[in-house]
Amino acid sequence: MSERGRRAGGPPPEALAELRASVRALREELEQRFGVGDSEEPDPGPAGELAEAEAALGADVESLGPELAAEALAVPSPRGGLFEQLRESVRARLEEIDVVKLYEALRERIAIPSAGDISAEVDDFGLDLRYLARARRWLDWLYDRWWRVEVTGEEAIPDAPRVLFVANSAGILPWDALMIAHAIERAHPTHGRPRALVADWIATLPFSQSRLARLGAVRACAENAERLLAQDHWVIAFPEGQKGALKPFRERYRLQRFARGGFVSLAVRLRAVLVPVAVIGSEEVHPILFEPRILRRLLGVPVPVTPTFPLLGPLGLMPLPSRWRIRFGEPIWFDEVPVERAADPLYVNRTRELVRGAIQNLLDEELPLRRSVFA
Amino acid sequence: MAARREPELGRRGLAITGLGTFTGARVAERLLESDAAPRIVALDLRLPRRLEGRVRFHRVDLTEPTADSLVAEILDKEGCEALLHAAFFSDPNPDLELSHELEVVGALHVMNAAAAAGLRKLVVASTAQVYGPHPDNPGYLSETHPLRPQRDAHALRDRAEMEGLLRIFGQRHREMCVTSLRPAWIMGPSIDSSLTRRFEAQRVVTLLGYDPLLQFLHEDDWIDAVELALERDAPGALNLAGDGVLPLSTLLRLAGKSVLPVPHPLLYRLTQLESLARTGDLPAAFYDHLRFGWLVDTRRAREELGFEPLYTSQEAWMSFVVARKLRGYR
Repeated sequence: MSERGRRAGGPPPEALAELRASVRALREELEQRFGVGDSEEPDPGPAGELAEAEAALGADVESLGPELAAEALAVPSPRGGLFEQLRESVRARLEEIDVVKLYEALRERIAIPSAGDISAEVDDFGLDLRYLARARRWLDWLYDRWWRVEVTGEEAIPDAPRVLFVANSAGILPWDALMIAHAIERAHPTHGRPRALVADWIATLPFSQSRLARLGAVRACAENAERLLAQDHWVIAFPEGQKGALKPFRERYRLQRFARGGFVSLAVRLRAVLVPVAVIGSEEVHPILFEPRILRRLLGVPVPVTPTFPLLGPLGLMPLPSRWRIRFGEPIWFDEVPVERAADPLYVNRTRELVRGAIQNLLDEELPLRRSVFA
Repeated sequence: MAARREPELGRRGLAITGLGTFTGARVAERLLESDAAPRIVALDLRLPRRLEGRVRFHRVDLTEPTADSLVAEILDKEGCEALLHAAFFSDPNPDLELSHELEVVGALHVMNAAAAAGLRKLVVASTAQVYGPHPDNPGYLSETHPLRPQRDAHALRDRAEMEGLLRIFGQRHREMCVTSLRPAWIMGPSIDSSLTRRFEAQRVVTLLGYDPLLQFLHEDDWIDAVELALERDAPGALNLAGDGVLPLSTLLRLAGKSVLPVPHPLLYRLTQLESLARTGDLPAAFYDHLRFGWLVDTRRAREELGFEPLYTSQEAWMSFVVARKLRGYR
């Protein structure tokens, strides 16, 4: 019975004494730390004492400064100790920083297109204008600042509906394709984005494939080139193919064999104008030392070895900042060539070598004009 | 564009094998709606209840060794002029032998019966997947492109074998108009296939780093195309797809689905999935379609069949997505 009575009457006296002691200790601690405390005698009742301690605590905290005090007092349990309150206030401050906003601002700054920038409309080969617009600042930066591209001969580009640009190719990733497309687009802003034909193995490389497609790159094959030209797109072809992309550094600016000359018969058949293009600087972007055949057999894709790749991993794929020159040559017209010649292997072969010679000449003319690779 | 001729089917019968399939049943229903409906002769294992009393039904098992003479007899007796062959498994069947028996031998029986009965027209509902998804596919596959189904995909291998037989058959029987329709993935509010079930899940497994362009054909457009092929003469193979293409990632985003990208070597080695999919194939057989391009060029269907799809690829996809979403809210 007595036990029940005690419980109903309130907290047990020993617990009450403990509480009183702890409040007193807290007050002493506060007085010690801040030198502020109330000298009034405590009330006998436990509830009054507690309220007083709370008030004292509030006054002490207020002396820290109005802002911090407000935050500290806003914490629901003022009895939790001063350190906990301070920690809470710091946490509240941290939470105020909007990580999402910060990320958005950062992304705006460096203009990296993210997955959120894709649009619901792409063309036949996956070119995404919204994504391209987003990437443009980034491409501009590469063009103007990183490689400082100088363009000559762009006034010779004819304003024809179908133009097939033929260029020397180099590099593991098709940076040259992106930069030539950029140069053409700047010279002829009205004709839309030129479409670059990129080597098979790049076109099927995970991660890069979908991004390149959104920027207008298409896998190089006769059917694709024909479809693009027939739709009056300007097309950039690299007839050296994989041989060009993987040629060792010592053979830079020496054009490799041009495949079967499919680009010639295509131009003849579809009445496209051929424009030879020489790119200087692209061949130093990824200086390939050698390409081990064992790795190609093991992995199924060619693995070129550069001073930095695969040594530094994906970081080693960072293109070196060489100074670039892009030179457009005299256009070659096929208007007077009968269409039947497209199927004449001797004619196609001869013309192919003619174009190859033209590009090699442009390269040989341009190479002595630069003082150094990087400056 | 060929002039739209008065359908001659009204006078004589049209035989449909595989009336129980989506294609067979829908085409029959569509034809029965028109005034000049032909007499429809159905050949299948069982008759769909919805079509009871509206078609002449014959129970035929195409996998039986003497099915060809039985079919020829029926075609002759019923006075059929054209045949739509749609008796294919709509999903890859785990029973490889039965699959081969129906897809290849069954089709061969139908071809031989059609020749014996002196039909004027044979239309086969095939698929554009027979070209196979490959890294070296051109952006758009034309009908003359070689058929290269993947080694893992037994159903597509069978279908490609059937296409080969059909091509030889068409060359041998010049008097008959033999058309093979190759639709891209068929999507729509009511079609239910292993493909749509894969995309019904809220979380779709994709291959890490791959984002191919895809095209779809709306189910109504598909039935339109079959009807057109029965009406007009366009011998040979015809690719069918809606206009426009979209990357897989965009499609899934439009559908509001979350993706689970898995590295392809890992996914292809998960043999557990093989039994889960219940197709009898390795997962690669399907997931290669989400890895490499296999878009088809639809110019021939446009020019020779006069087929203009009403829905774009995106609309076909969205109609599927919206219908499934609404069904979920029921």
